[in-house]
Amino acid sequence: MPDTLLDVADLRIHFPTSDGLVKAVDGISFSLERGQTLGIVGESGSGKSVTSLGIMGLHHGTNAQITGHIKLDGEELVGATPGRVRELRGSKMAMIFQDPLSSLHPYYTIGAQIAEAYLVHNQVGKKVAHKHAIDLLGRVGIPQPASRADDYPHQFSGGMRQRAMIAMALSCDPELLIADEPTTALDVTVQAQILDLIWDLQQEYHSAVIIITHDLGVVAELSDDILVMYAGRMAEYGSAEDTFDQPGHPYTWGLLASMPRIDEARLERLVPIKGTPPSLINVPSGCAFHPRCRYAGFTGGRSQTEVPELREVSPGHLAACHLTGDQRRKFRTELVLEETEASTARMTQGEA
Amino acid sequence: MTARAPAPHPVITFIVRRLIATVFLLIVVSMITFAIFFLLPRLAGQTTRGLASQYIGRNPTPAAVHAIEQQLGLDAPLPVQYGRFLRGIVLGEHFNAGTSKAYCPPPCFGYSFKNQQPVWPMMVSGLPVTISLAAGAAILWLVGGVAIGVISALRRGTLFDRFSMGVALAGVSLPIFFTGLIALELFSYKWPIFPNVQFVPFTQNPLLWARNLVLPWIVLAFLYAALYARLTRAGMLETMSEDYIRTARAKGLPERTVIFKHGLRAALTPIVTIFGMDIGLLLGGAILTEVTFSLHGLGLFTVEAIQNQDLPEILGVTLLAAFFIVIANLVVDVLYAVVDPRVRR
Amino acid sequence: MRTRKTIGLAAIGAAAALALAACGGSGGSGGSGGGGGTATKASFNAGVTHVVNPSNHKGGTLNFASSSGIPDSADPGNTYYAQMWNLTRLYAMPLMTYASCPGPCGLKVVPDLATGPGVVSNNGLTWTYHIQPNVHFEDGTLVTSQDVKYAVERTFDRSKFPLGPGYYPSLLAPQNATCAKAMAAGKTTGCYPGPYVDRSKNLMGLNAVQTPNSTTVVFHLAKPFADFNYVTAIPQSAPVPPNKDTGANYQLHPISTGPYMFQSYQINKQLTMVPNPHWNPATDPNAKQLPSKIVLTFNVNPNDVDNRLLAGDIQVDLPGTGVQAAARTKILTSNSLKAQSDNPVSGFEWFMTLNNKVPPMNNIHCRMAVEYAANKTNNQTAYGGPYAGGTIGSTAAPPNVVGQKHFDLYEATTKSQGDLTKAKQQLQACGHPNGFSTGITYRSDRPKEVSVAQAMQAALARVGIKLTLHGFPTASYTSNFAGVPNYVHSHDLGITVYGWAPDWPDGYGEFYYIADGAAISPVGNTNLGELNDPLVNSLLGKFATENSATVRNSYTSQIDMQIMKDAAFLPIVYAKALLYRPSNLTNVYVQPFYGMYNYAVLGLK
Repeated sequence: MPDTLLDVADLRIHFPTSDGLVKAVDGISFSLERGQTLGIVGESGSGKSVTSLGIMGLHHGTNAQITGHIKLDGEELVGATPGRVRELRGSKMAMIFQDPLSSLHPYYTIGAQIAEAYLVHNQVGKKVAHKHAIDLLGRVGIPQPASRADDYPHQFSGGMRQRAMIAMALSCDPELLIADEPTTALDVTVQAQILDLIWDLQQEYHSAVIIITHDLGVVAELSDDILVMYAGRMAEYGSAEDTFDQPGHPYTWGLLASMPRIDEARLERLVPIKGTPPSLINVPSGCAFHPRCRYAGFTGGRSQTEVPELREVSPGHLAACHLTGDQRRKFRTELVLEETEASTARMTQGEA
Repeated sequence: MTARAPAPHPVITFIVRRLIATVFLLIVVSMITFAIFFLLPRLAGQTTRGLASQYIGRNPTPAAVHAIEQQLGLDAPLPVQYGRFLRGIVLGEHFNAGTSKAYCPPPCFGYSFKNQQPVWPMMVSGLPVTISLAAGAAILWLVGGVAIGVISALRRGTLFDRFSMGVALAGVSLPIFFTGLIALELFSYKWPIFPNVQFVPFTQNPLLWARNLVLPWIVLAFLYAALYARLTRAGMLETMSEDYIRTARAKGLPERTVIFKHGLRAALTPIVTIFGMDIGLLLGGAILTEVTFSLHGLGLFTVEAIQNQDLPEILGVTLLAAFFIVIANLVVDVLYAVVDPRVRR
Repeated sequence: MRTRKTIGLAAIGAAAALALAACGGSGGSGGSGGGGGTATKASFNAGVTHVVNPSNHKGGTLNFASSSGIPDSADPGNTYYAQMWNLTRLYAMPLMTYASCPGPCGLKVVPDLATGPGVVSNNGLTWTYHIQPNVHFEDGTLVTSQDVKYAVERTFDRSKFPLGPGYYPSLLAPQNATCAKAMAAGKTTGCYPGPYVDRSKNLMGLNAVQTPNSTTVVFHLAKPFADFNYVTAIPQSAPVPPNKDTGANYQLHPISTGPYMFQSYQINKQLTMVPNPHWNPATDPNAKQLPSKIVLTFNVNPNDVDNRLLAGDIQVDLPGTGVQAAARTKILTSNSLKAQSDNPVSGFEWFMTLNNKVPPMNNIHCRMAVEYAANKTNNQTAYGGPYAGGTIGSTAAPPNVVGQKHFDLYEATTKSQGDLTKAKQQLQACGHPNGFSTGITYRSDRPKEVSVAQAMQAALARVGIKLTLHGFPTASYTSNFAGVPNYVHSHDLGITVYGWAPDWPDGYGEFYYIADGAAISPVGNTNLGELNDPLVNSLLGKFATENSATVRNSYTSQIDMQIMKDAAFLPIVYAKALLYRPSNLTNVYVQPFYGMYNYAVLGLK
């Protein structure tokens, strides 16, 4: 039977502001099993980070209104006491942040910051915690961990800082690890190392991992499932294979097009989606994506008026789009051809 | 490989270097003070004779003015006068009191033109007052200002925040001689809780010492506490939205630890710098407070020196103030390196 | 002159009663203004004419406070301030002093250490004093005539004691022929240099003062000087024991001959005095020894001085210049507080000099035009009004100079807003019917003088006289600007704001420095209007040999009249101060020469 660790159902996180209600997350559901990896993909403002912070209970103290369910190992977190969520934080679930430099406290040594996480959840002495921190640093591939533990964040390189962040997150063997844009601030070669590290550690600890990114490429190899978010809503949710092979949402097509390809020169990788992500205060009516969608005209106006429901485009593969299955297949085929031609043209020019 | 003597600790070389620079800085300060005192009035038409006649009774004869010029050494060229001054600091000075020659040991800041008494002991006798005033007020404003700032930041937008920030705004804008007089009027005369404020040395009676200084402390601290509350609040607000605070929370640290160990620690760093500078520059605030509360410290001494156009006193107090500022700067720099590891090399 | 009350020596002269009438009546119960020691109940201005709370009760701590330090020095040989001449009587006995009594009685000089006034020889050149044979210093040593001579010798060392008056070096016979020559040239070569340089004859090297025996002091003058008893009433003649003299440090502990002696003194902080066990009341009728301790606290915030005074924490404001504006309002609006206050004439007169050399002011009619055009009420307001400023003046001497008579040539009191018609007539006569331009100098760090300069600017503009304002710092006012005639001439500064209080209360003391042609000097000039009127000069010269009080008084009023006829002075106010006397203070009255309470006799209930 599936070993479900995290079950999120109809999660809504709303922020009342003086300009109106910001629906940062508006009805998200997914589940995650131990040893599995979920990639949450979307542009900035799509609600992916808000979702992860919501799971971690880090909206406490803000004016966030959270409804729905977050069940961690069967325990409901929505409405749980802040104290209880705090106990779980860092021990049962841990998080890695985007920018390791700003996410590490500049005034404390790396070792102390890792030990601190261990100390707060375990009844151990400072020496034990420090030794544990050194072990972890070694485990995440920091050379000479015993001496580097006494260094401050500014004395580490970017990749090493992220390794240290990971070590910190792993200090209490968390069952759920959320990595929020873990590689964005790093350069390409280091990105791969960090992703490999997360992969290796996941195998070792058998934890569930959520990787949050705006870059499908990051999750392509790591994820078992992919959740694509747009304007706080789910656009597409399915296994990684399904999502890459038969993407069901024109937004996902756009994301795929903007993915770097191994076989192409780096400069030419970006085919960004036209337009800008919508404001969360004035979410477009109907399908939130319709102002940027070149196929919105083919839905008989439903895109403008009706919020699309998640529908199975293939078994276990959901997408929220008004296009019919036929339309989708047709448009997708045309798009792929177009891109191939464009790409060939560019290569020819390059040779000439 | 040849054996080498161990290099001195970088902090020590840093301090030594700064102390040497301090000496030069003080020399420059003394030269500027000297120049302001002698050269500027001279540009405005003052003569040595005119200067000398300020230290003499009414209707002086020219002979009497000449005698006082010689006595004060004003008849010598400026570089010679300056040289004498420096020599006095390093080697001490012999002063002809008439019946005997008095020796003023180094650091001799010369003899007051008006009082014909050595400047240094007069200045030093005011130090305990000013230090008592400054230390008490500094602790009060640091603790009070930071506490109010932290609470305000954490309870942003609440009544407490608005009220304390309003009071803080008043504190920053109200001058000491106003708040001081109000405080005296209310708590010394109307409700004599602290009547007859006067300085009692700490060594003589610590309780009376504190009791007498409560009002001056509060008045002096009020000005600064207001500033520090605003600074701390702004610093805390900024720090608490930093990524590393989110990290600290994500670790599952109790909120108290997050606020004090992670938030306040970082927010305090700029406060420490400003605190050090303020301590060094405190003489300004001390002058007003001491004048208001009639405390016979360095501040009153300064006022007196300036009113009497007493060059040795002015030079003495200027150098002492400059010395304090430089030392405070040094302490701040060292402290900064202790507080913020990024500054260390 | 440096601070406002620099040389605030004054005497309420024969006209004290007149001044009282001007400020609203004395309220004293007794009719006797003279006599001395008439007791009365507390009422407004009672202390001007009567002793308030007479008592011989001993004990208590008498607290003085001052908003500054001792203005110059606690050494009786080195001070020129009224408050100090008053205070030193607690620890120093000069040969002569001012009588301890209220009203006109108090401006008589009477013997203090001496047994009687100095006896002058027929040629006017020798003054002989006999001192009391049984006066002791605080250490029990007997005071001898040599101690008096030594005190006088000290004043010759101007480098150690620059702050006191310089009468002895200029009045006494030159030490020798070389000195006589040098003095004629304004130098001091060969003259007696003071006992620190001249160690000869057991420190008794000054030839002009002789001590034929231990109780006789003989002064030999260079020229007759009939005012010499006033000179010996300056604290400089108080005896100093040569073997206890510490030169510049003597100020820290002068050896007392008065009822109190120094216990501790921290300059600018605090002075504590305790009773002198060797003081004998029989030898010193001018002082009392009532409080068991006297404490003077310095550098107290001016408003706090008043608050402490009103709260009873202190009893006396040392400078005697009156309370600040806040306390003044409090006192004048409360009947009970007002009954505990006095508003005496302080001895200062504030005035403007109209320069005799700066065109077109060298024309007397132009000066008269200024006299008429000035708005005297606004000038008075500039100085703080009738209580804190003073009474509008119309004469060059204040009413408390012996021999001064009231007159009013330019309608200062009758048309105090100014008489523009007469001003224009004078302008016509001067040849500037449409007015002229000139400058006014004042001390820019004194708000009152700034205000009066502005008031004059507005008042004179009414008749077309354009006044430009020239403010200078007090410290260099006479040494570099207003007191330097060359500067005044080259900058066309026709009007100078100034003030004066005499070193002793007669016409000579009042006028010599501010109106004698001989007093005009190129630097540090005090005859700021550069008046050089032969009549004034000759009358002032006659003072030196004239001993008749009646004749001297007539000189005083003649000089005053002549100065005003010359339109050389434009009087502003006869200065007054509002003094507060706490109810627990005994033997309180205004010593008229000092213009403040007599500090030598105060006691506590």
